[in-house]
Formats: sequence, C-alpha cells, structure tokens
Amino acid sequence: MNQTASMIEQHPAIPESKPYKQNRWKKNFWGYMFLVPAIIIFIMFMWVPIFKGFLYSFYYVDFVKGNHFVGLDNYSRALSDPDVLKAVKNTLYYMVLCLIIGFWVPIAFAIAISELRKFGGFVRVAAYLPFVVPGVVLYGLWRWLYDPVGPINALLTTLGLDQISFLTEPKWSMISLVFMETWQQFGSGMLIYLAAVLSIPRDWYEAAEIDGAGVWARIRHITLPSMRNLIILMLILQIIATSQGYQSQMALLDGGPNNTTLTYALLIVKYAFTRLDYGTATALGMLMFIVLGGLGILQFKLNKEDN
Amino acid sequence: MKSADRGILSEHDLKKTSNKIVYGIMVLVIIIMVFTMLYPISMTMFNGLKSNQEVNSFPPHLIPQEWHFENLSKAMEYIDLPMFLRNTLYIFAGNMIVTLVVLGMASFSISRMNVPYKKAFYFFFLMTLFIPATSYMIPNFVNLKELGLLNQYAAFWLPAGANTFYFLLLKNFFDGIHPEIFEAARIDGASEPRSFFTIAVPLSIPIFATLAIFIFSTAWNDWFWPSLVMHSEEKYTLATAVYKYVINVRALNTNIKFAILFIVTLPPVIVFLIFQKFIMRGVALSAVKG
Repeated sequence: MNQTASMIEQHPAIPESKPYKQNRWKKNFWGYMFLVPAIIIFIMFMWVPIFKGFLYSFYYVDFVKGNHFVGLDNYSRALSDPDVLKAVKNTLYYMVLCLIIGFWVPIAFAIAISELRKFGGFVRVAAYLPFVVPGVVLYGLWRWLYDPVGPINALLTTLGLDQISFLTEPKWSMISLVFMETWQQFGSGMLIYLAAVLSIPRDWYEAAEIDGAGVWARIRHITLPSMRNLIILMLILQIIATSQGYQSQMALLDGGPNNTTLTYALLIVKYAFTRLDYGTATALGMLMFIVLGGLGILQFKLNKEDN
Repeated sequence: MKSADRGILSEHDLKKTSNKIVYGIMVLVIIIMVFTMLYPISMTMFNGLKSNQEVNSFPPHLIPQEWHFENLSKAMEYIDLPMFLRNTLYIFAGNMIVTLVVLGMASFSISRMNVPYKKAFYFFFLMTLFIPATSYMIPNFVNLKELGLLNQYAAFWLPAGANTFYFLLLKNFFDGIHPEIFEAARIDGASEPRSFFTIAVPLSIPIFATLAIFIFSTAWNDWFWPSLVMHSEEKYTLATAVYKYVINVRALNTNIKFAILFIVTLPPVIVFLIFQKFIMRGVALSAVKG
C-alpha cells in the first residue's frame, strides 16, 4: 500500500527516463538516514565487542604493552583450571535449585491469585513490590535477615529448631541465595502468568464443569495446557538467565564459602578483574557462548510460534 | 450465571466442604506470601529508625520502641547521597534520550518506512539477542577502555542505543499504529522525518513511558557495571556507592546502614505505587515479547 501511495505522489514529478536506482535512493533516503545511527551504535557497542571477544580469546590482553597472540593458550589454561570444573558444577547446581525452588512458584501463585474474589489488586502489588527494591538494598536486607541473630533464626529458635548460618555454611549458602532471588523475582513472573490465566475464556471452565470435571481436572486439562507455550518460554528464559547468574553470589558471598557459590559467570568476572587476565576471561566467555547459543535460537523459535 | 463472574471455581464449587477447605488454605498461603513480601521491606524502613542497640537485639521486632529520625540525617552525612543521585539521574536522562532518538528512529524505519532489505537490517539488530550478554561482558569492557570511554558518562549513554529488547518493544508498538495515518500524511506532502516527529512520536507516549520506567530501574539498580566503568568516586551511581560504602562495610552502625537503604528504596517504590497499574500492564505485555 505504501508503494502505491508513493507512486501516485512521485509520478508527475519524475520523468520515466530517470534511472531506477537513483529514484529508489531518493525515495528511501530518510529510511536509511533513520537507520544509520542505530547501525553505527550497534556495530560499535555490540558487534565489535562480540568480534573482539572471539579475537581476544587467542590473545594475551595487555593495556600497557599491547596485546600479543598466544594461540590456544587461553583455552588450555581455562580448561585445565580445576576452578572451572567446580564453577560449572556450581552453576548447574544453581540452575537446578532455581528450577526446584523458584520455577513453579509464580505459576502456582498466578493461578491462586486469579481465583481471589477480593483484594486481588493489593496482593499483586505486594507480590511485585520486592522486584522494585534495588538489588543492593536486597543484599543488605537479606544479609541481615540471614544473620545468626536475625529474624529467620529468631523464628527457628521460637519453633524449637536449631539455628542455621544460612550464608556461611557451605551446604546452605547456595540455597539461601536462590531463596532470596525467588523472593525478589517471582512477582514479575507471576504477573506474566496471571495475564495468561486471565485470558483463558471463562466459558471453557463452565463447559467443563457441566461435563463433570472437578477443580483439579479443570486446572490440569484447561488452565495448564493453555499456558503451555508460555511455561516453556519462561523455562528457557530462566535457564538462559540462571546459567549467567553471578551478581548475588558476588555481592553476598564473593563466591565463598570455600568456592561453593562460585558460578561460571562469576569466575569470568574474577579472571578479568581480580587476576586481570582478560584473555582467559574472554576465552571462558566464548566457551559459554558456544554452549548457550543454541538455547537462544530455541527461545527465538518458540517466541515466534507464540506470537 | 454470567460467564464473567467465575474463574476456575464457580459459586457452586465453593459450596462443597472439601473445596472450601482447599480454598481456605489457598487464601492462607497468599496471606503468608503477602506478609513475607511486606515484612522485610517494612523492616528496612523501621530498622532505619531504631537505635543501633535495638536493631541488634535478639529476637528482632518490627516497630521501633523509640523513634530515631536523626538516623536519616546521619545517613545523608555518611555518604554524599545527592551527588550519587545526580550521577544516577544523569545516566538515566542520557540513556533515555539516546534510546528514544536512536532506537525510535531505527524501529520506525524498519516498521513503517519500507526501506529495501529491511529484513536484513532487522536481522542485523535481532541477531544480538542470540548471544548471551555475559559471554561478551569482558570484551565489552575492554572495548570501552580501548575507545577511551572509561570513567565517562558516554560509556553509558552511547551503548544505551544498542539495546535489542527496547528496539523490539518500539518496533512492535509502531507496527500497531495504523499505516493509513502515515499514508495520509505522505499524501498531504509531509516529509518522512516530519511524519515521524509530528505523528509517530506523540502517538508513542505510552511506550516511551514504559521505556522510561525500564531505563529508570536499570539506572537505579545496576551496581556492578557502573563500578567497573566508573573508577572515580565522584562519578559513582547511587547503587554502586551503596554497594561499595554501605553493604560491605562492617564498621558502619546497622541502623544507619538501614537508614541509607531505606532512602535508596523509597524513590523506586513511590514511582511504582503511583504508576502501578501502568507498570504491571507493561510487565505482562513486554516480558513475553522480549
């Protein structure tokens, strides 16, 4: 339709003998002009870093004396470092914990909250509120909540249970972090699921009820299947996000105690900014890219089907 | 019965005792959830108003026994909050302008201007989504260093234009505007830039507002990246300063610590409570498309 309009507009002004290419260039001049700034910025701050990431994984990066080529040294150093194996294990453990502790929570609450007859709006706001609280505040707050003399241990003592050092005991440290992140983030996932739950036509439940389906049957055969695509998409998004997690591990425990919360991404950060070995850090990043690239494509495909 | 009046459960279901019990448990769980959400956040506030001795007493209680409002002024003296606030707002404003101008124009061009090879350009932007951000975080830092942008606000402002997620949000929004409006403008002789600035931009206020909220929360919350890029104290953002001088400092009294955390929490919470309907609709719409 656009083309028809512009042809009508241009027809009297431009003689037919004029070369087509020039004509097209003129017509699309502003279209290209609008794209140019974004293209320059994407190249400078996205594609160049990505390309440099590939390149520098074969270099020793030295800001003072200049970089020099070291071949596969960075990769062999990365792969022979026992910390890397430990970090991969920790990351997998972290991802699994996030699925077990965190993944189902927003789904369950979305369904439950959609059934509330009153105060639904208030509950939504309350559930989303932690997501608004800045991350640094969260770290300060939870360090205090998890403190040996903090409120959670006070509750455990009143219930007659033993105190737990949530952060400093290796067995508990990762679980405590996952719990904290679930607390903070489930609200936003819940809102997304809630929109999906509320978009299911009420008549379906009506019909199922008339056919004799109980409450659980309705949830299992109507609510959950209608959200299937969304659940899969959120699952992949969560896997992509948690496989790169490092901020709370870094802020609260700096990978400790005894490297139990040292995730792969945190190791990359440490290689770069503690050991100042940017080359190896970049090589580790490349290895991560190879593993995660496939997941990104999968997410894109699912997303396309969903829309 | 009107179909809008029911959810998964109908009025009839709730007459059965077993369902009533389950529903009761569900409501109880939600109440507990709301409590666990609100308790720590209100604790941040009240702890900031207690005496230090009371904060550290065991077991802790919520409401202060004596109110110490002077903690707030002590908190303001401990670190230069107004300076860090100003830095954060600088970054927010710059990021906002660059995002709107650069990505707004690019997404408009892809969405409405019918440039040849627009699929290829679209793919050029979209491809970056497949690459996990952490995998090029270090080269990104090295790149900024090599460009000489470290410790400058431009290190935040310019890369703000390279955000594929915001690009998609804007493009989806422009796709939803009726093309007839731009047809009409073209026929009336409006140039492309003019139809962008006088028609598309005013129509896009809702999506700009959504973006403003996202960009604000990133600028307000991000502590790690600014702590790498900015290495002089007078350029730290609020979150970075809190991380460096409050969270990991043992010598600071806990009540003052909480007073600072409370001050930092307050603005985003107020913004959220004012625009809550708008924000929550934005979350539900945008997160899926990202």
